[in-house]
Amino acid sequence: MKYTKKYALYSCLMALMFSMSCSKKIDDAYLNPNAATRVPVESILPSLIGSLVGSSAAAGSAYGIAGDALWIGRYIQYWGTYNVSTVANLGTQFDQMGGASGSSDALGTMWGAHYFGMGQNINRMIQWGTEEEKWDFVGAAWALRAWSLFENTNQYGDMILREAFNVDLITFKYETQEEVYDSVRVICHRAINYFNTTGGNTGKKFAEADAFFNGGDINRWKKFTYGILARSYAYIHNKSIYSADSVIKYADLAMSVNADNATCKFANSGITGTSNYFGSLRVNINQLNTGIRQSAYIADLMSGANAGAFSGVQDPRRPYILRENTNGTYKGTIPGKGAGTLPAGDQPQSFAGTSFGATGYTLPESGRYIFRNDAEFPIMTASEMQFLKAEALLRKGGNNAAALTAYTNGINLNFDVLNTKYTANVPAALQMTMTSRNAYLSSNAVIPVNASDLSLTHVMLQKYIALYGWGVQETWADMRRYHYNGDTDPVKGTVVYANFMPPSGGDLFANNNNKLVYRARPRYNSEYLYNIPELTRIGALALDYHTVEPWFSVKP
Amino acid sequence: MSLRLILAMMLTVCTSFLYAQEKTVSGVLRADDGAPVAGANIAIKGGQSTTQTDAQGAFKIRTKNGDVLEISSVGFVTRSYKIVSDDPINVVMVRSNTELGEVVVVAMDIKRNSRELGYSTQTVSGTEIQSTQRENFINSLQGRVAGLSVNPTGGNAGASSQLILRGFNSLSLNNQPLFVVDGVITDNTTMNETSNGGTGLGLASDRPNRNNDYTNRIADINPIDIQSVTILKGPEATALYGSQASSGAVIITTKKAGTKRVTVNYDNSFRTQRVTRTADVNNDYGPGANGVGGNTFSATSGSYFGPKYPADIRRYDNIDNFFRVGFAQTHNISADYGTKDVGFRLSGSFFDQKGVIPNNDFRKYNLRLTNTVKVGSMLEFTPSVQFIHSTNDKPLRSAGGYLLGLYAWPVTNDISNFTDVNGNKQSIFSADPFSEIDNPLYNINRNKSFDKTDRYIFTGGINFNPLSWLSFAGRFGYDTYKSEGFTFYHPLSNLTTRGQLGAQDNYWRSYYGYNHTITGTARKTVGKWSGRVMLGTMWQDYRTEQFAIYGTNLVDSVSNVNGQLYKNGNIVTDANFGTTVGTPSDSSITRPATRVRLLQNNLGRNNKFITRQSAYFGEAAISYNNVAFLSYTHRFETASVFPKDQRNYNYPGVSLSLILSDILPGLKKGGILDYWKLRSSVAGTARLSDPYKNQSVFVNNFASAQTGAFSYGFDNNNPDLSPERQTTYEVGTEVRLFNNLVSVDIDYYNTYCYNQINSQYRASYGTGFVLNTANAATARNQGIEVVLDLNPIKRENLSWNVRFNFNHMWSKVITLPESIQQEYYLSDTWLYLNARGGVTEGGPSTTITGFHYERNKAGQVLISPTTGLPVVEATFTVIGDRNPDFMLGTLNTLRYKNFNLSFLWDLKVGGDVFNGTDMYLTLQGKSPRTADRETPRVVEGVLKDGLQNTSNPTTNTLAVNPFYNTTYYTTNALTEEDFVQKDVNYFRLRDITLSYALPSRLLKKATFIKSASVFATGNDLLLFTNYGGADPSVNGNNASTGGVGAFGFDYGTLPAPISVNVGFRVGF
Repeated sequence: MKYTKKYALYSCLMALMFSMSCSKKIDDAYLNPNAATRVPVESILPSLIGSLVGSSAAAGSAYGIAGDALWIGRYIQYWGTYNVSTVANLGTQFDQMGGASGSSDALGTMWGAHYFGMGQNINRMIQWGTEEEKWDFVGAAWALRAWSLFENTNQYGDMILREAFNVDLITFKYETQEEVYDSVRVICHRAINYFNTTGGNTGKKFAEADAFFNGGDINRWKKFTYGILARSYAYIHNKSIYSADSVIKYADLAMSVNADNATCKFANSGITGTSNYFGSLRVNINQLNTGIRQSAYIADLMSGANAGAFSGVQDPRRPYILRENTNGTYKGTIPGKGAGTLPAGDQPQSFAGTSFGATGYTLPESGRYIFRNDAEFPIMTASEMQFLKAEALLRKGGNNAAALTAYTNGINLNFDVLNTKYTANVPAALQMTMTSRNAYLSSNAVIPVNASDLSLTHVMLQKYIALYGWGVQETWADMRRYHYNGDTDPVKGTVVYANFMPPSGGDLFANNNNKLVYRARPRYNSEYLYNIPELTRIGALALDYHTVEPWFSVKP
Repeated sequence: MSLRLILAMMLTVCTSFLYAQEKTVSGVLRADDGAPVAGANIAIKGGQSTTQTDAQGAFKIRTKNGDVLEISSVGFVTRSYKIVSDDPINVVMVRSNTELGEVVVVAMDIKRNSRELGYSTQTVSGTEIQSTQRENFINSLQGRVAGLSVNPTGGNAGASSQLILRGFNSLSLNNQPLFVVDGVITDNTTMNETSNGGTGLGLASDRPNRNNDYTNRIADINPIDIQSVTILKGPEATALYGSQASSGAVIITTKKAGTKRVTVNYDNSFRTQRVTRTADVNNDYGPGANGVGGNTFSATSGSYFGPKYPADIRRYDNIDNFFRVGFAQTHNISADYGTKDVGFRLSGSFFDQKGVIPNNDFRKYNLRLTNTVKVGSMLEFTPSVQFIHSTNDKPLRSAGGYLLGLYAWPVTNDISNFTDVNGNKQSIFSADPFSEIDNPLYNINRNKSFDKTDRYIFTGGINFNPLSWLSFAGRFGYDTYKSEGFTFYHPLSNLTTRGQLGAQDNYWRSYYGYNHTITGTARKTVGKWSGRVMLGTMWQDYRTEQFAIYGTNLVDSVSNVNGQLYKNGNIVTDANFGTTVGTPSDSSITRPATRVRLLQNNLGRNNKFITRQSAYFGEAAISYNNVAFLSYTHRFETASVFPKDQRNYNYPGVSLSLILSDILPGLKKGGILDYWKLRSSVAGTARLSDPYKNQSVFVNNFASAQTGAFSYGFDNNNPDLSPERQTTYEVGTEVRLFNNLVSVDIDYYNTYCYNQINSQYRASYGTGFVLNTANAATARNQGIEVVLDLNPIKRENLSWNVRFNFNHMWSKVITLPESIQQEYYLSDTWLYLNARGGVTEGGPSTTITGFHYERNKAGQVLISPTTGLPVVEATFTVIGDRNPDFMLGTLNTLRYKNFNLSFLWDLKVGGDVFNGTDMYLTLQGKSPRTADRETPRVVEGVLKDGLQNTSNPTTNTLAVNPFYNTTYYTTNALTEEDFVQKDVNYFRLRDITLSYALPSRLLKKATFIKSASVFATGNDLLLFTNYGGADPSVNGNNASTGGVGAFGFDYGTLPAPISVNVGFRVGF
């Protein structure tokens, strides 16, 4: 009996050990041995920075603002297509303010950036950064979330907010833009709180990880975050809750010198992902059907040919951001009509430096400004903040002198940045000098003698120039809140965007039903195949959904 | 060795000689229906000598007059036979009507009396399987089991086959059954080429299982080692096997060592194979377009729309000239040696096949040793070891294969001129070697693919019966193999590009599988009540590892002018390829910068899939008076593929069996009813996904970074994933009538598969990903199976048995992931143009979706008012259903004296097939449906002129003449809808075999020969079908594709050739 008990005890112990070892072996086999399910947060941040402009990864590329900017730049007449084509979803459709149609993912790169390119990667950076007490990474993750949320809602209006990133859901409800704006602000303040948190493992590896954006400078990150807040208060000037003081406050907290500008840099190591989306290596700006050429509106505005703004003044910034023609002048395309009636000698070169009708790129690269492989791509600049401040001061009234100062600062900051960062490939003879710059700034048409003469037209059109090429989404938000050529400048009594001519009649895209474009439809291969019930609910299946005004631009 | 032992051995031998002075008596055992009774035990009453009958029922025994033989066999009434003369003995065994002795092997080598089973099983004997001479034994099961369907990939030597029991339950996971050999789970994987961006197993080139094939690994099992195969169709039977068996189980019992003196059996088979079924092609028209001659030959479409060939133009029979007569030989040898308590069986096999496709050579060696040791009356050990070596030189198939090129090859060009004087590719029109499809002989000779596998399977069984009411059993198995292989694309093949300059795809795969099952069973009988309780545990540990490299740029350049290849400044010819480039098989012949590997391979490690599972299970069974049986099983499992919270799950099973004919004995009066059983069972089960499907992984991000950058891949591998679940119930009955003249077995089953794991489906990016994984879909699958056995003639010299295996199945997809508004499909099945295995909510799981014609509300095809051609709607809707109306296998077995004839007819009625081959040929101008191209026609339909949906649509009157308008034969006017052939039937003579057992008297002089027989077997000899293509029994994917796969997708796949085998068997 004694033995039996002993054996029973041994057997039980053996059985227990056996089952414990099984359970351990099963645990061991769970984790994926083939690919990383967790990576250091410092290797996530560079991918998020890449997704600001145009990502490149083994899982898809081009998520970011640059891809959509090619289309939106046509809405706001930064540029137009050179090759008039009626093929669906190519240049002409967007020149004519059409939305994306059919099964096209055009205008969907920001949707892809927010939900996929950055989406869960931001979540993990927050989660693991918190676990590892890397508060700088957590702050940066929140700041980038605020940025992409804000860019996304400005482009698409209603969007997935509360239900986003729930991996168990299959269809997703949309929230209104008003809610998204509130969330953006909450998230900005949360980011700033983390930026203000020290200790733990803060300050380790952040500078390396952030090398190609803010160089690891927490203060610049804070200024970038304040800048998002400034934008968010500025863009709702049509709303009763508009507060000019908030714009001014956050613009002041944001970057004020060019050294603080939030810009993406590129290692340009010879592979596409490390080069600028608008550069020759990524082959995006000068293809048949999708190639872009500067518009007549920007060329005229900077050549003194716009009677309503800066009339008669030659802008020394032209050779930097625009391209000459063989006659040595600056002309541009007409929406949907390519070169229109321009004689060959007046047709502008492409941004890649080829002749008007030629596709492709030259070796060595002859693009200028942001159209080069290694050119820094601005996301937000001090100059932009000065224009936001100037606009808010004008709207608030009572301190036009301060507005004029901000306005002048904005122009100067833009001059400085071009003069230092973007001189590559600008012919020496055409580069600005102190003389040409001063001549421009001393023109009454640019800087009014009396502060009381400063108008929204001045501010918004100088901002239009200063954000040329990179601030496409911000300029589109500006033009929509001033309803393109709809809103009048109270000082001048003329349209804020002086002489801006949106396409009309037969030149407006057929689906628009004579309305101008006000939003992009969500990404086709995300929503129009797989989230139909919600699109039905918000009316996004209508062919003119892209003409529905977003909340921020609707006047009460 | 001690002297005493040697003496003892000598004594034993001497004793044998003493016995040898007695005479040898031979005999044959037959059942009352004439069938030979194999494996019966024959013992001399009161003596030591025993023997067993062979597959023909023959036996020999040393005996003397006056001895009484005790003859016993499972399922038969035991009888005695007294020896009175030297004449051969013919003994007829009577089947035991009570069915008491009929034993079925169910879970893990556990045997159960068939009376008590509450679910249906069917057994196919090893003899029957071997008689078909099919080296991949699962191909011999089609038609022999109701509800079983085999979908072979094609007619290549070494082709894989998909085996499905009772239809498709899961929309994305594996629907194939579990294979169990002697109680040990044995791997039946077919290599899947997809590696999901290098994160999984598969090839580094990450291909979608369409262009190549890999043997399904259970085909490694040597058919001659199989004693019997029992098919457990539903999950009820497999509640004890665990989740791998949720699609049923195939239980293989191997031949065990006989406890007798040395016996040796040898048999062989010589096979010739011929291709008789190819697609019809039209060879009337020459190259060009719109009736105007041209000189281009496209790889994809538009080649033969020029003028008619002159009547006197020289034509070549390229298709017939391409194929060769296949030849295969098999040699099997087995030897048994045993004493009363120890037995050995050694079997070996050599199989060598030259397939019908040139260069398709398959070779396999099998060697197996089994041992049975009894220690006392309580303990028995049954270890075995098996070694398999196989090699296969394979052709490429489907889109990259030789067959489409063969069909499309110009009839005016002799296929055999495929190289120029330098051995380089000879094109027809173009100097550019990449502009034309490869000459099929070029494809076969220059592009190479090869596999090699070495496999060891160890099994061990222990039975321990310490007490009369208590027994323990353990089954242990270790199964391991190493495979390696490659695919080589010659730099001049049009399967690569001028930029790629050839490609080389290599893999090395290893598999290590261990599993064991240990059970303890206690039995107790009290009066008329009997009870049984079984408890068991199971452990499974499977690991597959893979290393794979893909690279390109085998040469440096290819000349634009004459297709000349250059490497390091040298001209590369076929003759010097080995010295200038290297061996086609060597992964190092590619340019290093182009090489891609699986993720871990880059770090010098293998990618791994590891699945581990532990289980505890129990069964409680109670029976009354051997007429009513109730059993309850429950299984608790833990599987490593799920996260901790979802890892533990369990499921029950209940079954009931009632022998009505014994409960109500009055039913048996009148001599009509012999036996009537009612049965029912209900059970749950679970199904696992591949491992790591719930962990999203990071992939390379190429952003500017100082620290390296990663971002998530496309897949939302849902961290909350739980097992797919399934509930099945079945009810059935078994009736035997007229003294077993007729027996019928009818079964209805209903399987509800829910919480299905759907992977890689698209949804809103709101999840943060592009592709998703979730427990989402539900589907129901039902069917009726009938097995009817007739024994019209049962005489000593003549007997005839007919068995009908009938099944009718239907399924319904109840829900799909909510985001899927149109259809859910597995991307593997999207293999040609725009037809794929898509399913929709409310439809069956076997539908084909594809592009179709735009129609008005009345269903009339819309015609373009400008072209007169139909308007194609480029969206995927259901255009066909592959599920047949019913399947019927008819097996006839006839015996006249020593002649045995058996033949299996396989009938399929209904079910659609997508004839992609014909669509390809139509687009090329080679299909017979383009033969009437010079006849002007008006396409039936109404104009899309705005009135199409009014009450007065405009009937189309626009005539088109396709001869002058090639657009008629393009995807602008043709849709996949046209090429789905509806209701495809076939009636096929699958196997026919005639054998003749040499009479004992002929063997009398050669006393060392115990038995001898000769046979002839034909496979796939006859096919009657309404199918327009070559043969509807092909599969567009290989057997590794999950879900429903691509059976019923015919695209560039050669069907099974016809085969004739002859051989003899001899036993010593």
